[in-house]
Amino acid sequence: MIARCTVDYEGRLHAHLPEAVRLIMIKADGCVAVHSDGGAYKPLNWMNAPNRLVVDPDTGVWRVTAPRTGDTLVITVAEVISDITHELGDDPGLRKDGVEAHLQELLAADPSAIAAGLTLVRREHPTGIGPVDLLCRDSTGAAIAVEVKRRGEIDGVEQLSRYLEYLNRDPGLRPVSGVLVAQQIKPQARVLAADRRIDCVEVDYDELRGVESPDLRLF
Amino acid sequence: MGMKFRCERDKLLEAMSAAGRAVTSRGGALPVLSGVRLELLGGALLVTGSDLDLTISVNIEVAGSADGVAVIPSKLTADVVRALPSGAVEVTVADEEANIVAGSTEFSIRVIPAEDYPNLIPAEEPGSSLAGSAVTIDGASFRAALRQVVPAASVDEARPILTGVLMVPEAGGLRLVSTDSYRLAVKDLAGTSILGEDQKVLVPGRALAELARIIGDSGEVSLRLAEREASFEVGNITLTTRLIEGDFPNYRGLLPTGHPNKLTVERDALLEAVRRVRLLAQESTPVRMAMGPDGLSLTAATADVGKAQESMAAAYEGEELTVAFNPSYLMDGIEVTTGPEITLETMDELKPALLRSVGDEDFLYLLMPVRVS
Repeated sequence: MIARCTVDYEGRLHAHLPEAVRLIMIKADGCVAVHSDGGAYKPLNWMNAPNRLVVDPDTGVWRVTAPRTGDTLVITVAEVISDITHELGDDPGLRKDGVEAHLQELLAADPSAIAAGLTLVRREHPTGIGPVDLLCRDSTGAAIAVEVKRRGEIDGVEQLSRYLEYLNRDPGLRPVSGVLVAQQIKPQARVLAADRRIDCVEVDYDELRGVESPDLRLF
Repeated sequence: MGMKFRCERDKLLEAMSAAGRAVTSRGGALPVLSGVRLELLGGALLVTGSDLDLTISVNIEVAGSADGVAVIPSKLTADVVRALPSGAVEVTVADEEANIVAGSTEFSIRVIPAEDYPNLIPAEEPGSSLAGSAVTIDGASFRAALRQVVPAASVDEARPILTGVLMVPEAGGLRLVSTDSYRLAVKDLAGTSILGEDQKVLVPGRALAELARIIGDSGEVSLRLAEREASFEVGNITLTTRLIEGDFPNYRGLLPTGHPNKLTVERDALLEAVRRVRLLAQESTPVRMAMGPDGLSLTAATADVGKAQESMAAAYEGEELTVAFNPSYLMDGIEVTTGPEITLETMDELKPALLRSVGDEDFLYLLMPVRVS
């Protein structure tokens, strides 16, 4: 809804927004957010779900209450300029950035760039806690889970460790070992990976793409 | 245990600053390492800073009145001492505070629990892997050599081997080698024999940069080597560093045996020209060097910004050739050469170029060009 309104918040602090035209969003999960025409993603005021929204059509007062804390957000609508309801459908989730997704694609096309003899079983192999980027087999037939990142950091090692824990419960796959692949891997991530017996492989994005790097090296 | 001593501000500041350079700037797992450790025994105060890889200890004479050990915040205390009026400073550590008094100025600084400080055994003490005989080398020539090779060592921790400077025996002397894969510096110190025949060590470039700073005008450096660490003693300062483990790249295979093209140019004039022209080599664009019978022309251009061009006199033997270089790496190379004239030997626009001083066979700087369309 785009409306001329005032907003009062009562909770850990008191805040008052004087009357002005604002965007009021009520999401399907119940979140209420009041936006001005600026400030990027950040609302002026908001109330997370779960909450209780009571609208009084006579006075134009919307009262949003957080049941756990008792915080209240009171929106007093003076004039409705636009009011639409639209279902957005299922959210496909956040897409990985272009380079990371492309790296995964390039490595899926040629897993031998990770290690000689590696062949692809499946991209985005599902586990109970999310898909692992690549599931491969090495030359002996052993399963290898590959997590692809732009920058290999501790988070990536943790993530792959969790996947490995799940994958190793599958009698058809185990033993599954892990490889963290990135353009650059941080020393701390290497230490943690070594501790978890996860291999680290750095790959050159340009080389995989067949682009000649202008930076020539001695070796 | 309390501790009390008195000494000149400048002396204390010098010790705090030198030891503080080894103190870790990253928080790290051991907060105690953000401090310097003071150990007073009679009239000798040992000030130590460390990040576990690099340790710098400074021994100064003070008027001590109560022995003890304390760890004080490094940067804050150095700033405090620096800000004091010159003259005598009295330091008293009791309970959880260090009192620093100079004239009518008094600071109380919360100390860091000293028992958390790691046990760093001084090099010469029994129990240290470095105990044993030291080799002495000439400070001035060693410092000059370090200044020539350290800039070519990598600072990228992703490839730790390349962050070190390789020390190997060569023709009865000592050879220092460093490379970050884009350039390679090799320095021979004739007559400096500090390593066994097959011995080679890889010393972190960061430690050697600090060592070069510490050597200053000092006459001699004493070196002790152990399997995993090396210790350098300069006057009252001892620098101990962990050695890097692993195999250094085979640099010998990279050393070219003959270049068909050779440019000879005044060092200072080239340095100044590159410094000017590189102002227009922005966004990782290179500086192009066009070499021919008419001399040398330097150009740099950045899209939507502008371009720079400079011609200079130079003697050139060989085919006309244009080679592009990363301006920073080129400047580093010119800066570490010595003497009035330098040569740049090239094969083609994609093979490594060799930079050296005319008449100096003991140093070379090999520089990889940048590919340009």
